Amino acid sequence: MIQRALTIVLIASLAAAPLMLGGYGLQVLVMILLFAVLAAGLDLVTGYCGQFSFAQGAFWGIGAYTAAILHRDFDTGFWLNLPAGALVAGFAGLLLGIPSLRLRSHFLAITTIAFQTLVFLGLSQWTSFTGGQYGLSVPVVGSVSVLGYEVAEISDIRSFYWLALAVTLLCLFIAWRLTQSRLGREWIAIRDDETLARALGLDATRGKLIAFVVSAALAGVAGVLVAHHIRGVSPDDFTIATSAAVVAMVIVGGRGTLVGPILGAAVLTALPELLRGAADFKLIIYGMLMIVMVTLMPEGVVGRLARRRA
Amino acid sequence: MTALLDVAGVTRRFGGLVAVSSVDLQVRKGEVLGLIGPNGSGKSTLVNLIAGTLPVTAGKLTLHGRDITGLPAHKRARLGLARSFQLLRLFPTHSVEDNLLLARHPFMRTSLLDSLIGRRSAIEEEQAARARAREILALFDLAEFATRPASALSIGQQRMVELARGMFAEPTLFLLDEPAAGLSPPNVARLIEQIRNMRDTFGISVLLVEHVMDVVRGICDRVVVLDHGEVIASGQPDVVMQDPAVVAAYIGTGRRRRAAG
Repeated sequence: MIQRALTIVLIASLAAAPLMLGGYGLQVLVMILLFAVLAAGLDLVTGYCGQFSFAQGAFWGIGAYTAAILHRDFDTGFWLNLPAGALVAGFAGLLLGIPSLRLRSHFLAITTIAFQTLVFLGLSQWTSFTGGQYGLSVPVVGSVSVLGYEVAEISDIRSFYWLALAVTLLCLFIAWRLTQSRLGREWIAIRDDETLARALGLDATRGKLIAFVVSAALAGVAGVLVAHHIRGVSPDDFTIATSAAVVAMVIVGGRGTLVGPILGAAVLTALPELLRGAADFKLIIYGMLMIVMVTLMPEGVVGRLARRRA
Repeated sequence: MTALLDVAGVTRRFGGLVAVSSVDLQVRKGEVLGLIGPNGSGKSTLVNLIAGTLPVTAGKLTLHGRDITGLPAHKRARLGLARSFQLLRLFPTHSVEDNLLLARHPFMRTSLLDSLIGRRSAIEEEQAARARAREILALFDLAEFATRPASALSIGQQRMVELARGMFAEPTLFLLDEPAAGLSPPNVARLIEQIRNMRDTFGISVLLVEHVMDVVRGICDRVVVLDHGEVIASGQPDVVMQDPAVVAAYIGTGRRRRAAG
């Protein structure tokens, strides 16, 4: 009951944010929303299903480049790019999911790092297809029409923020429904004891693959959004550093809680902005925070709170 | 009586060690078959081979007349094969009720997608399964713990949850790997009663690996004895336990024989 009320208040204040915040504040909020989708998606794989992945940044990039390349070659707009980005990233997620069926813990983590590196190299070196280091440009979302009537013009940060908020809420809702469904229960079972899960007749293979595909598809959606947000793509946004940041959000917030990683995304996206004044010490402060968190609260902030309540 | 499970010439090697050597045995419909033998005789390995947790090196497994030798564990479970583990195995963070529910997932008629989008049929099926889980938990005097995380229960209670879970899956064959280990005497008596109930009321056949002889005598219709991975005797519990080969395997006349020779 309290949780529901809090959620409504939060969504209402997020929807009202453009009335109070200026352009810079909204830019930061959009990035928080995008990272919330990335972190929630990764939480499905890591927090719920128990599979390590350092490749969320790669799927983000695949979504973004799908939008940019489709626009360049076929002149598509945002509304076609959005499902296409989810589809292409989801398919890439399936490709990474297949080795996960045979690999565990560290070995899987290394494989995902290799995948992330391959994608980055592809984006930065395959110049004829991806534009290489220069990247590609992507237009604004533009006018939105329903049945021929123009209902909105999305060309400034304020209107884009509302679009991003709506898409983000939809993504987070899907993730939440998944965790509450039978599949979510099976994911936790696979995470806690895969041998037992199989002995009970649960199809762990299917469970893991679905987790990887959904997680990557969500990252793909965030990728299409970021491409249209910054009106371009360049490979340096989708490096292992990005993936590591998403992993940090999931761990600091609390694995397997969904709310935790979303909170982690908010804090770890806003923190570097707040620390801009102390730019020289930014990484030191960030690093110290990580050490303190992992040492004192390995289950994350929300994980700790949930355990205390239980 | 027809054989429900037919184990024919099953062998398992770990490197140079032959843990299970060309074992033949049948579990008949509606019986409790005891599988006994000294420590390290290959009982748990055999259970793992039957359940599909380990692959066999050689031999053939048939369940309901169907060859299951090459099937993965989860597909065997779907054919009506349930098991418990020698070292207790429950999902620690799931509630007791959800632990049971998970065993029913593979048999649910509505799809994962139905559950995801919250279709009425899926919700109803889940509610029916929960109600049934509560009934089974009540049979094991666990109703009041339904919403607790499984790891919060005592060892004895967790054993009962394992049994309840196996029963909830409505298997035709239940492999029980040392269910009495670590139980207090009153709990052992309850365990015997529950296994008997499974066989008589629910028609579940049981393959029971057990060290506690009271349990074996109290419940088993037949007994198979393993030693060094081989079947050395089988038959009525009282008869088998008088068998000189069995007595030798347990008490270890090897040394005496060597001394005599």
